[in-house]
Amino acid sequence: MTPSLTGRLIVLACVALPAIAHAAKLGALVSGHDGKPLANAVVIAVPEDGQLPPLTKVVEVVDQIDKEFVPYVKPIRAGSYVQFPNKDNIRHHVYSFSPAKKFELPLYSGTPSQPVLFDKPGVVKLGCNIHDWMLGYIYVAETPYFGKSAGDGRVQLENLPPGRYRVRVWHPRMQGSEDATVQRVVLQEAAPARVEWKLRLNPEYRPRRAPLPGEPGYR
Amino acid sequence: MNRHSLCWLCCGLTLLSTSAYGDWGLDASAGVTYDDNISNSLDADDRKADTAAVIDVSGGVHEQLSGSTGLGLSLLASSDTFAQYTGLSDIGLGARLQMRTKFGLGAQAPWLAVAAQAMYRNFHYDYLDGWRYEAGITAGKQFGERWALRATVRYDATVTTQTPPPLIPTLPGSPYDVYGWNLGVQGTYWLTGADLLSLALNRRTGTVTTVSPPDDEVAEYADRAALNTVFGGPEVAYRIFATTLTTTLTWSHSLGERAAINLLYAYSRSRAPNDLGDYYANVINLSLSYAFY
Repeated sequence: MTPSLTGRLIVLACVALPAIAHAAKLGALVSGHDGKPLANAVVIAVPEDGQLPPLTKVVEVVDQIDKEFVPYVKPIRAGSYVQFPNKDNIRHHVYSFSPAKKFELPLYSGTPSQPVLFDKPGVVKLGCNIHDWMLGYIYVAETPYFGKSAGDGRVQLENLPPGRYRVRVWHPRMQGSEDATVQRVVLQEAAPARVEWKLRLNPEYRPRRAPLPGEPGYR
Repeated sequence: MNRHSLCWLCCGLTLLSTSAYGDWGLDASAGVTYDDNISNSLDADDRKADTAAVIDVSGGVHEQLSGSTGLGLSLLASSDTFAQYTGLSDIGLGARLQMRTKFGLGAQAPWLAVAAQAMYRNFHYDYLDGWRYEAGITAGKQFGERWALRATVRYDATVTTQTPPPLIPTLPGSPYDVYGWNLGVQGTYWLTGADLLSLALNRRTGTVTTVSPPDDEVAEYADRAALNTVFGGPEVAYRIFATTLTTTLTWSHSLGERAAINLLYAYSRSRAPNDLGDYYANVINLSLSYAFY
């Protein structure tokens, strides 16, 4: 017997409405030690009760455009897949040595036939074996509650179940470990919580740059 | 290698350009160079100093043959315009072929490059006109995020297209035809995210041209000599054998992703055999380089 439309709506409402009704918000502001807002910081909220929604198959995308990884930082949930389409009209050779995911996509153009599974939480540093300046990061989070800061340094996490959370931040150039950034917050549906970090940054030594005098050749 | 070789290189460039995945690039730099011994003179009284405006352009195509090996072919153009000794001003046109391979994966994998280059330089002083050839092998490696080292073995040769009348019957030929072997090492250090410091040491063994008033002592050790009027007076250009040590310090500051301002200082000291003496030169260059794409 096929359930009626009304029945389906009732079931859907029973499943979805409690989550929406009890959704909490978390706002974060990430800046450098100089006070300037910091882009590409990942804010991660982990519920202390360990309750996480079930994982669904997700395929995220990290492009290669104008010999750069786009986006530079891509946060995903552990268990997600990532596709690496090459949108340049040259070939790239993507790899990672990171313990969270070692992989290699040998010299290719277009889109690889299979996405790559990232099933272990951690930071995955991406490189291209042809263009050494190409650098990108995939942050594999153990929770679905995460966000990446834009140019204003702000991250807004929404639809979190109320409760106690351990909230931390990560940035590709941050000094120290992300564990040292953990803040404990209690999220309530009526009162959005706010967290803030000021991070000390390491300089980046592999920028794309003009050639040195007398050094012709491919960079 | 001659003009025909350059034609072949141009043909190769055309062929590479038809590749589906050829990556085109164009780099240019413009700057000012000061050399306090442009005449390569042995004696302090004979030294000539001058300043030149220098422009270099390199454009070509790179084809990645595999995940580790790439082939690049570039056309080169250069211009030197001297303020005082205009005979040394020249324009050059040439080509460069390079194959580079990495031994492993990642930015820190060691690499090896084999390169050959030919450039025709047309000087205001016609007896200097000729081809400049270079061929060599360079090995390099990056260490961590901030250090990179490379070592080069390179042969260079200059072959002029006009031979001045012999000044001394026993020393025929052009004194401007020189050749030499170069052995060099270079270390690069990222001072900051935007600043690079590079120290290079080069040892060249071969022939050099030195200009001075007629000198019996130099003539004794020279194998070629000709009258030289580049510096105004009736002087003599000699070709002698010498070992030249050059230390080059370069600071480069990035101005965004495509541009950089560069300051270079080089000190060269050449030693001729048989206690003929040393000559030295200080060169300072300030340039702005830009990678168009």
